[in-house]
Amino acid sequence: MASKGVSLKVKGKGSASKNKGSSSSSSSSDENSMCKALKDWSNWGLKKAKVIAHYGFIPLVIIIGMNSEPKPSLSQLLSPV
Amino acid sequence: MDAPTAFNATKPTVETKEKVDYFNLPCPIPYEEMHREALISLKPEVFEGMRFDFTKGLNQKFALSHSVFMGPTEIPSQSSETIKIPTAHYEFGANYLDPKLMLFGRVLTDGRVNARVKCDLSDNLTLKANAQLTSEPHMSHCMVNFDYKGKDYRSQFQLGNGALFGANYIQSVTPNLSLGGEVFWAGQHRKSGVGYAARYSTDKMVATGQVASTGIVALSYVQKVSEKCRLRGKIDSNGCVTAFLEERLNMGLNFILSAEVDHRKKDYKFGFGLTVGE
Repeated sequence: MASKGVSLKVKGKGSASKNKGSSSSSSSSDENSMCKALKDWSNWGLKKAKVIAHYGFIPLVIIIGMNSEPKPSLSQLLSPV
Repeated sequence: MDAPTAFNATKPTVETKEKVDYFNLPCPIPYEEMHREALISLKPEVFEGMRFDFTKGLNQKFALSHSVFMGPTEIPSQSSETIKIPTAHYEFGANYLDPKLMLFGRVLTDGRVNARVKCDLSDNLTLKANAQLTSEPHMSHCMVNFDYKGKDYRSQFQLGNGALFGANYIQSVTPNLSLGGEVFWAGQHRKSGVGYAARYSTDKMVATGQVASTGIVALSYVQKVSEKCRLRGKIDSNGCVTAFLEERLNMGLNFILSAEVDHRKKDYKFGFGLTVGE
Protein backbone atom coordinates (compact mmCIF):
# COMPACT_ATOMS: atom_id res chain seq x y z
CA MET A 1 0.00 0.00 0.00
CA ALA A 2 2.82 2.36 0.88
CA SER A 3 4.54 1.72 -2.46
CA LYS A 4 1.35 2.62 -4.34
CA GLY A 5 1.14 5.92 -2.57
CA VAL A 6 4.74 7.05 -3.18
CA SER A 7 5.68 8.55 -6.50
CA LEU A 8 7.71 11.45 -7.75
CA LYS A 9 4.61 13.58 -7.96
CA VAL A 10 3.57 13.30 -4.35
CA LYS A 11 4.21 16.43 -2.36
CA GLY A 12 4.85 14.74 0.96
CA LYS A 13 4.00 17.57 3.34
CA GLY A 14 4.65 15.39 6.37
CA SER A 15 1.73 13.05 5.82
CA ALA A 16 4.00 10.09 6.65
CA SER A 17 4.46 11.43 10.16
CA LYS A 18 0.73 11.89 10.44
CA ASN A 19 0.25 8.19 9.86
CA LYS A 20 2.85 7.09 12.37
CA GLY A 21 1.62 8.87 15.45
CA SER A 22 -2.14 8.36 15.21
CA SER A 23 -2.93 4.69 15.33
CA SER A 24 -4.71 4.69 18.71
CA SER A 25 -8.05 6.51 18.71
CA SER A 26 -10.92 5.95 16.28
CA SER A 27 -11.42 9.60 15.30
CA SER A 28 -7.81 9.81 14.26
CA SER A 29 -8.15 6.57 12.27
CA ASP A 30 -11.07 8.22 10.43
CA GLU A 31 -8.77 11.13 9.69
CA ASN A 32 -6.15 8.59 8.72
CA SER A 33 -8.31 6.96 6.05
CA MET A 34 -9.45 10.38 4.83
CA CYS A 35 -5.82 11.48 4.45
CA LYS A 36 -5.02 8.24 2.66
CA ALA A 37 -7.98 8.65 0.33
CA LEU A 38 -7.01 12.25 -0.34
CA LYS A 39 -3.45 11.23 -1.10
CA ASP A 40 -4.62 8.43 -3.40
CA TRP A 41 -6.98 10.73 -5.24
CA SER A 42 -4.38 13.46 -5.66
CA ASN A 43 -1.87 10.88 -6.90
CA TRP A 44 -4.33 9.56 -9.44
CA GLY A 45 -5.15 13.12 -10.52
CA LEU A 46 -1.51 14.10 -10.93
CA LYS A 47 -0.75 10.96 -12.95
CA LYS A 48 -3.63 11.67 -15.29
CA ALA A 49 -2.61 15.33 -15.57
CA LYS A 50 0.90 14.30 -16.47
CA VAL A 51 -0.28 11.95 -19.22
CA ILE A 52 -2.65 14.60 -20.57
CA ALA A 53 0.12 17.20 -20.60
CA HIS A 54 2.55 14.77 -22.21
CA TYR A 55 0.30 13.93 -25.13
CA GLY A 56 -1.82 17.01 -25.33
CA PHE A 57 0.47 20.02 -24.94
CA ILE A 58 1.79 20.23 -28.47
CA PRO A 59 -1.67 19.66 -30.03
CA LEU A 60 -2.98 22.38 -27.72
CA VAL A 61 -0.35 24.84 -28.93
CA ILE A 62 -1.14 23.95 -32.54
CA ILE A 63 -4.88 24.41 -32.01
CA ILE A 64 -4.39 27.77 -30.32
CA GLY A 65 -2.03 28.83 -33.08
CA MET A 66 -4.31 27.76 -35.91
CA ASN A 67 -7.16 29.76 -34.38
CA SER A 68 -5.20 32.97 -33.95
CA GLU A 69 -5.54 35.86 -36.38
CA PRO A 70 -4.69 35.82 -39.30
CA LYS A 71 -5.77 32.19 -39.58
CA PRO A 72 -3.18 30.06 -41.33
CA SER A 73 -4.41 27.27 -43.54
CA LEU A 74 -3.97 23.55 -42.99
CA SER A 75 -1.71 23.22 -46.02
CA GLN A 76 0.70 25.70 -44.46
CA LEU A 77 0.82 23.57 -41.37
CA LEU A 78 1.72 20.37 -43.17
CA SER A 79 3.97 21.53 -45.99
CA PRO A 80 7.68 21.92 -45.37
CA VAL A 81 8.01 25.17 -47.28
CA MET B 1 19.60 66.50 -22.19
CA ASP B 2 17.04 67.84 -19.79
CA ALA B 3 17.16 71.56 -19.06
CA PRO B 4 17.71 72.02 -15.35
CA THR B 5 14.55 73.20 -13.64
CA ALA B 6 13.54 73.95 -10.10
CA PHE B 7 12.01 70.47 -9.82
CA ASN B 8 15.21 68.54 -10.39
CA ALA B 9 15.33 67.31 -6.81
CA THR B 10 12.18 65.25 -7.26
CA LYS B 11 12.48 64.22 -10.92
CA PRO B 12 16.10 63.32 -11.60
CA THR B 13 17.53 61.67 -14.69
CA VAL B 14 20.58 59.50 -14.81
CA GLU B 15 22.49 61.84 -17.12
CA THR B 16 22.30 64.91 -14.94
CA LYS B 17 23.50 63.02 -11.79
CA GLU B 18 21.18 64.98 -9.54
CA LYS B 19 20.04 63.89 -6.12
CA VAL B 20 18.60 60.40 -6.29
CA ASP B 21 14.89 60.10 -5.76
CA TYR B 22 14.57 57.00 -3.66
CA PHE B 23 10.86 56.72 -4.31
CA ASN B 24 11.28 56.42 -8.04
CA LEU B 25 13.77 53.63 -8.49
CA PRO B 26 13.70 51.42 -11.58
CA CYS B 27 12.37 47.90 -11.39
CA PRO B 28 15.25 45.46 -10.92
CA ILE B 29 16.23 42.55 -13.15
CA PRO B 30 14.55 39.27 -12.21
CA TYR B 31 16.52 37.22 -9.70
CA GLU B 32 17.26 34.32 -12.02
CA GLU B 33 18.60 36.65 -14.70
CA MET B 34 21.07 38.24 -12.37
CA HIS B 35 24.06 36.80 -14.19
CA ARG B 36 22.52 37.30 -17.62
CA GLU B 37 25.27 39.39 -19.19
CA ALA B 38 27.98 37.09 -17.95
CA LEU B 39 26.17 33.97 -19.08
CA ILE B 40 25.46 35.33 -22.56
CA SER B 41 29.12 35.88 -23.22
CA LEU B 42 30.56 33.02 -21.22
CA LYS B 43 28.11 30.18 -21.71
CA PRO B 44 27.27 29.89 -25.38
CA GLU B 45 25.38 26.80 -26.40
CA VAL B 46 28.31 24.76 -27.58
CA PHE B 47 27.52 21.46 -29.16
CA GLU B 48 29.31 18.63 -30.94
CA GLY B 49 28.21 17.21 -34.25
CA MET B 50 25.81 18.58 -36.78
CA ARG B 51 22.77 20.64 -36.03
CA PHE B 52 20.13 21.95 -38.38
CA ASP B 53 17.21 24.11 -37.24
CA PHE B 54 14.37 25.24 -39.40
CA THR B 55 11.68 27.58 -38.14
CA LYS B 56 8.62 28.31 -40.20
CA GLY B 57 6.32 31.11 -39.19
CA LEU B 58 2.69 30.57 -40.04
CA ASN B 59 1.57 33.96 -38.82
CA GLN B 60 2.85 36.68 -36.53
CA LYS B 61 2.25 34.71 -33.39
CA PHE B 62 2.53 31.07 -34.34
CA ALA B 63 5.55 29.14 -35.64
CA LEU B 64 6.57 25.55 -36.13
CA SER B 65 10.13 24.39 -35.89
CA HIS B 66 11.99 21.31 -37.04
CA SER B 67 15.41 20.49 -35.75
CA VAL B 68 17.80 17.67 -36.60
CA PHE B 69 20.82 16.80 -34.53
CA MET B 70 23.43 14.13 -35.16
CA GLY B 71 26.38 13.76 -32.91
CA PRO B 72 27.85 12.14 -29.86
CA THR B 73 26.32 12.83 -26.50
CA GLU B 74 28.16 12.34 -23.28
CA ILE B 75 26.93 9.97 -20.67
CA PRO B 76 28.15 10.35 -17.13
CA SER B 77 30.67 7.73 -16.17
CA GLN B 78 32.50 6.83 -13.01
CA SER B 79 35.96 6.77 -14.55
CA SER B 80 37.90 9.83 -15.60
CA GLU B 81 37.29 9.15 -19.29
CA THR B 82 34.25 10.62 -20.92
CA ILE B 83 32.05 8.14 -22.71
CA LYS B 84 30.31 9.36 -25.80
CA ILE B 85 27.67 7.52 -27.73
CA PRO B 86 26.53 8.67 -31.14
CA THR B 87 22.92 9.76 -31.23
CA ALA B 88 20.62 11.34 -33.71
CA HIS B 89 17.29 12.90 -33.10
CA TYR B 90 14.65 14.98 -34.72
CA GLU B 91 12.74 17.52 -32.71
CA PHE B 92 9.45 19.07 -33.65
CA GLY B 93 8.34 22.23 -31.97
CA ALA B 94 5.45 24.63 -31.88
CA ASN B 95 5.60 28.17 -30.51
CA TYR B 96 2.83 30.57 -29.83
CA LEU B 97 3.75 34.11 -28.85
CA ASP B 98 1.22 36.58 -27.67
CA PRO B 99 1.85 39.68 -25.54
CA LYS B 100 -0.02 37.98 -22.74
CA LEU B 101 0.57 34.29 -23.35
CA MET B 102 3.55 32.38 -24.57
CA LEU B 103 3.49 28.65 -25.25
CA PHE B 104 6.58 26.76 -26.26
CA GLY B 105 6.55 23.04 -26.89
CA ARG B 106 9.15 20.63 -28.22
CA VAL B 107 8.82 16.92 -28.75
CA LEU B 108 11.72 14.60 -29.51
CA THR B 109 11.87 11.29 -31.28
CA ASP B 110 12.30 9.41 -28.03
CA GLY B 111 9.02 10.71 -26.71
CA ARG B 112 10.29 13.43 -24.42
CA VAL B 113 8.22 16.59 -24.31
CA ASN B 114 9.67 19.90 -23.24
CA ALA B 115 7.01 22.48 -22.47
CA ARG B 116 7.18 26.09 -21.34
CA VAL B 117 4.26 28.33 -20.58
CA LYS B 118 4.34 31.99 -19.66
CA CYS B 119 1.08 33.73 -18.91
CA ASP B 120 0.46 37.27 -17.68
CA LEU B 121 -2.40 36.89 -15.26
CA SER B 122 -2.48 40.63 -14.65
CA ASP B 123 -0.23 43.65 -15.14
CA ASN B 124 2.04 42.64 -12.32
CA LEU B 125 1.49 38.93 -11.82
CA THR B 126 3.00 36.36 -14.17
CA LEU B 127 2.73 32.61 -14.16
CA LYS B 128 5.54 30.57 -15.68
CA ALA B 129 5.72 26.82 -15.95
CA ASN B 130 8.47 24.62 -17.27
CA ALA B 131 8.16 20.87 -17.67
CA GLN B 132 10.18 18.01 -19.11
CA LEU B 133 7.95 15.00 -19.49
CA THR B 134 9.13 11.54 -20.38
CA SER B 135 7.47 8.18 -20.82
CA GLU B 136 9.68 6.68 -18.15
CA PRO B 137 8.09 6.86 -14.74
CA HIS B 138 9.68 9.10 -12.14
CA MET B 139 11.84 10.91 -14.66
CA SER B 140 9.62 13.88 -15.36
CA HIS B 141 10.22 17.29 -13.89
CA CYS B 142 7.97 20.27 -13.61
CA MET B 143 8.45 23.69 -12.11
CA VAL B 144 5.85 26.43 -11.71
CA ASN B 145 6.74 30.03 -10.84
CA PHE B 146 4.52 32.88 -9.76
CA ASP B 147 6.18 36.26 -10.27
CA TYR B 148 4.96 39.48 -8.79
CA LYS B 149 6.47 42.71 -10.03
CA GLY B 150 6.18 45.74 -7.81
CA LYS B 151 7.32 49.31 -8.42
CA ASP B 152 10.94 48.75 -7.51
CA TYR B 153 10.98 45.14 -6.41
CA ARG B 154 10.23 41.69 -7.71
CA SER B 155 9.23 38.61 -5.82
CA GLN B 156 8.83 35.05 -7.01
CA PHE B 157 7.41 31.88 -5.56
CA GLN B 158 8.35 28.52 -7.05
CA LEU B 159 6.77 25.09 -6.82
CA GLY B 160 8.40 22.02 -8.23
CA ASN B 161 7.71 18.34 -8.28
CA GLY B 162 9.22 16.26 -5.56
CA ALA B 163 8.03 18.79 -2.99
CA LEU B 164 10.32 21.59 -4.08
CA PHE B 165 9.46 25.06 -2.83
CA GLY B 166 11.38 28.22 -3.40
CA ALA B 167 10.94 31.95 -3.06
CA ASN B 168 13.10 34.90 -3.97
CA TYR B 169 12.94 38.64 -3.66
CA ILE B 170 14.98 41.41 -5.21
CA GLN B 171 14.82 45.13 -4.52
CA SER B 172 16.38 48.19 -6.15
CA VAL B 173 18.32 50.08 -3.54
CA THR B 174 19.81 52.80 -5.72
CA PRO B 175 19.38 53.39 -9.46
CA ASN B 176 22.38 51.14 -10.09
CA LEU B 177 22.38 48.66 -7.24
CA SER B 178 19.89 45.94 -6.47
CA LEU B 179 20.00 43.39 -3.68
CA GLY B 180 18.08 40.19 -3.33
CA GLY B 181 17.73 36.95 -1.44
CA GLU B 182 16.24 33.52 -1.93
CA VAL B 183 15.23 30.47 0.08
CA PHE B 184 14.34 27.02 -1.10
CA TRP B 185 13.28 23.72 0.37
CA ALA B 186 13.58 20.36 -1.36
CA GLY B 187 11.41 17.77 0.31
CA GLN B 188 12.72 14.79 -1.62
CA HIS B 189 16.29 15.26 -0.55
CA ARG B 190 15.43 16.95 2.71
CA LYS B 191 17.55 19.95 1.82
CA SER B 192 16.97 23.62 2.28
CA GLY B 193 19.04 26.62 1.46
CA VAL B 194 19.33 30.37 1.58
CA GLY B 195 21.13 32.65 -0.82
CA TYR B 196 21.88 36.34 -1.30
CA ALA B 197 22.74 38.29 -4.41
CA ALA B 198 23.75 41.79 -5.38
CA ARG B 199 23.95 43.43 -8.77
CA TYR B 200 25.58 46.72 -9.64
CA SER B 201 25.09 47.96 -13.17
CA THR B 202 25.89 51.10 -15.05
CA ASP B 203 25.80 51.87 -18.76
CA LYS B 204 29.24 50.44 -19.30
CA MET B 205 29.55 47.54 -16.93
CA VAL B 206 27.69 45.04 -14.81
CA ALA B 207 29.03 43.40 -11.66
CA THR B 208 27.14 40.72 -9.80
CA GLY B 209 27.80 38.61 -6.78
CA GLN B 210 25.87 35.67 -5.42
CA VAL B 211 26.36 33.40 -2.43
CA ALA B 212 24.19 30.50 -1.38
CA SER B 213 24.23 28.02 1.44
CA THR B 214 24.44 25.19 -1.08
CA GLY B 215 28.06 26.21 -1.40
CA ILE B 216 27.86 28.44 -4.43
CA VAL B 217 29.77 31.67 -4.63
CA ALA B 218 29.52 33.35 -7.98
CA LEU B 219 31.01 36.67 -8.94
CA SER B 220 30.97 38.14 -12.38
CA TYR B 221 32.01 41.30 -14.12
CA VAL B 222 31.07 42.30 -17.63
CA GLN B 223 32.39 45.36 -19.39
CA LYS B 224 30.77 46.60 -22.53
CA VAL B 225 33.45 47.19 -25.12
CA SER B 226 31.61 47.60 -28.35
CA GLU B 227 28.13 47.42 -29.72
CA LYS B 228 28.38 44.30 -31.85
CA CYS B 229 29.88 40.97 -31.02
CA ARG B 230 29.71 37.83 -33.06
CA LEU B 231 32.59 35.70 -31.85
CA ARG B 232 32.52 34.56 -28.26
CA GLY B 233 35.41 32.83 -26.61
CA LYS B 234 36.32 31.75 -23.12
CA ILE B 235 39.05 30.01 -21.22
CA ASP B 236 38.56 28.69 -17.75
CA SER B 237 40.48 27.29 -14.83
CA ASN B 238 39.89 23.68 -15.91
CA GLY B 239 42.06 24.18 -18.96
CA CYS B 240 39.06 24.28 -21.26
CA VAL B 241 38.98 26.65 -24.24
CA THR B 242 35.70 27.39 -25.96
CA ALA B 243 34.82 29.40 -29.03
CA PHE B 244 31.42 30.04 -30.52
CA LEU B 245 30.71 31.90 -33.73
CA GLU B 246 27.30 32.78 -35.03
CA GLU B 247 27.35 34.33 -38.47
CA ARG B 248 24.34 35.66 -40.25
CA LEU B 249 24.65 34.73 -43.90
CA ASN B 250 21.41 36.10 -45.20
CA MET B 251 18.03 37.12 -43.94
CA GLY B 252 16.86 34.22 -41.87
CA LEU B 253 19.97 32.11 -42.37
CA ASN B 254 22.43 31.66 -39.51
CA PHE B 255 25.56 29.62 -39.63
CA ILE B 256 26.92 28.34 -36.33
CA LEU B 257 30.38 27.03 -35.50
CA SER B 258 31.27 25.78 -32.08
CA ALA B 259 34.48 24.38 -30.65
CA GLU B 260 35.48 23.25 -27.20
CA VAL B 261 38.90 21.92 -26.37
CA ASP B 262 39.57 20.49 -22.94
CA HIS B 263 43.28 20.03 -22.58
CA ARG B 264 43.13 18.33 -19.25
CA LYS B 265 40.70 15.60 -20.19
CA LYS B 266 41.91 15.46 -23.81
CA ASP B 267 38.34 15.89 -24.94
CA TYR B 268 37.73 17.79 -28.16
CA LYS B 269 34.34 18.80 -29.45
CA PHE B 270 33.55 20.52 -32.70
CA GLY B 271 30.16 21.31 -34.04
CA PHE B 272 28.65 23.08 -37.00
CA GLY B 273 25.13 23.90 -37.90
CA LEU B 274 22.64 25.94 -39.80
CA THR B 275 19.57 27.76 -38.52
CA VAL B 276 16.88 28.69 -40.99
CA GLY B 277 14.03 30.96 -40.13
CA GLU B 278 13.49 33.99 -37.97
